[in-house]
Amino acid sequence: MTVFAVLVFVVAYVLIASEKVHRVKVALVGAGLMLAVGVQDFEHAFHSEETGVDWEVIFLLLGMMIIVGILRETGVFEYIAISAVKRAGGRPFRVMVLLILITAVASAALDNVTTVLLVAPVTLLVCDRIGVNPVPFLLAEVFASNVGGTATLIGDPPNIIIAGRAGLSFNDFLVHLAPIVVVLLGALLLLCRVMFRRQFAYDPERAASVLELDEKEAISDSRLLIKSGAVLLAVLIGFVVSATTGTAPATVALLGAGVLVLISGLPPREYLADVEAPTLLFFVGLFIMVGGLIEVGAIEQLAEWATEATGGDLQVATFLLLGVSAVLSGIVDNIPYVATMAPLVQSLAETTGNPQNVLWWSLALGADLGGNATIIGASANVVMLGIAEKNGHRITFWQFAKYGLVVTAVTVLLCVPYLYLRYFAFA
Amino acid sequence: VIARELVTPCPSIGMDDDALAAVRSMADQRFPGIVVCDERGRPTRILPGTQVLRFVIPRYVQDDAALARVISGRASQHLVGQLEGKKVRDLLPKHAEIDLAVANPDDTLLELAAIMARLHSPIVAVVENDVLLGCVTLPRLLDALLAPESA
Repeated sequence: MTVFAVLVFVVAYVLIASEKVHRVKVALVGAGLMLAVGVQDFEHAFHSEETGVDWEVIFLLLGMMIIVGILRETGVFEYIAISAVKRAGGRPFRVMVLLILITAVASAALDNVTTVLLVAPVTLLVCDRIGVNPVPFLLAEVFASNVGGTATLIGDPPNIIIAGRAGLSFNDFLVHLAPIVVVLLGALLLLCRVMFRRQFAYDPERAASVLELDEKEAISDSRLLIKSGAVLLAVLIGFVVSATTGTAPATVALLGAGVLVLISGLPPREYLADVEAPTLLFFVGLFIMVGGLIEVGAIEQLAEWATEATGGDLQVATFLLLGVSAVLSGIVDNIPYVATMAPLVQSLAETTGNPQNVLWWSLALGADLGGNATIIGASANVVMLGIAEKNGHRITFWQFAKYGLVVTAVTVLLCVPYLYLRYFAFA
Repeated sequence: VIARELVTPCPSIGMDDDALAAVRSMADQRFPGIVVCDERGRPTRILPGTQVLRFVIPRYVQDDAALARVISGRASQHLVGQLEGKKVRDLLPKHAEIDLAVANPDDTLLELAAIMARLHSPIVAVVENDVLLGCVTLPRLLDALLAPESA
């Protein structure tokens, strides 16, 4: 049974990483096999907190998808981005700085893929106007979305999985990850200035054409904007106070989505348009497969090996986890990686101890920031590249990696002193 | 009513003809598309007007309606400027997404309508012995369908 479960998992993982077969098909077939052979039974797969589907993750994602889907219809993101670009006077580097900051902040409040879908079209328009190559801008934004998303529980899907497994609150992520993310954003801005230094040619005439854009026209429905903006704000506040009130983030998101659906008056086909059913199904399949590995004791075995490799030393485990996560998240999508590693880290923590949840922060930082290394490191990268290609700007694997590896290396290295000083030296 | 009675003469436009001139001819003659012919004058592709729009309007604007609203009218007039120096072949998708909408002169009204409906083409080339006689446009077809005698 153990051999079978590991075999199914490894084959599924290779297929997901290679992208030869759509990942939803792989996850569902893999989950089906685990259930059919009896590695997982129905009860455990769908009702166990330890080895089953994490419904909190699924419903948190569903609620946020509905809220964001309605909000994006209002054109508010285009309004904010164009206003900022006009403030920058159409000067390329200033434009990049503002777009990076907007992307990072939006990524912390929304998921990365949505943020990229929102920011990329505006970027292409602005770059067309000011006469610069949009590729550096698109790359900078995708890096910013992965860095910014690291700051919060809802910012990046790996964080949602970690929160579900470790029982961490929205505020835990804010307190422990947001400070380093601010530092990393500063570093990203400097890196972009250096890496893309030849791409900031300023043409006053072209820059002036940006000022002709009328951002107010982007707002399609101001009443809906007020309603959806108020609900999003209430949901974010709900996340912050959820630890105090004992309300699960998924409950807050679902409640917000329900209220917005009710007051928006939109028909189902509109408010469900941005619900990515394939993503939710992928998560379900993945949870069942990983649960199968836990059932047969494979994760426990891996944790034992990991403990031996680290000698049971928390400090070694922390930095090894950070490095390995960064490297592996560049090779495979960070969602399946974290789904697999989360139970392993849980077991490892029982041996090494886990003061202030340092192992979870190490996993989150490694996996989220490692997603910047290559095109396949994070879903947002793939989406951004697709948009660039559709608009006639092909970005190759190595072109992305040339910049992505530098950003990953610098940001992950900056996490080392942060983790050491905060959780070991001054703990 | 048969195709021969509805046919409107249309210029034989080649793949390497000037794109701007071809689009201007489409606009001047109120054609919803143009028939593109090979060097022997045989129709090879249909270029619908909507394909011209797909070419001149940036993809990001097509994907994000809010961006279409923020661009001023003056700027949108410059979009057609992108056709300068382009050939008709540049406007066509690399691979024909749909079959060539072509009919015989004695095809009936219903046959013409079926071709347009099946191929989503607002224009059908009418060909006799490999020679382009002209084309039937969607407005002309609808006129004929709505005429009292065809009711």
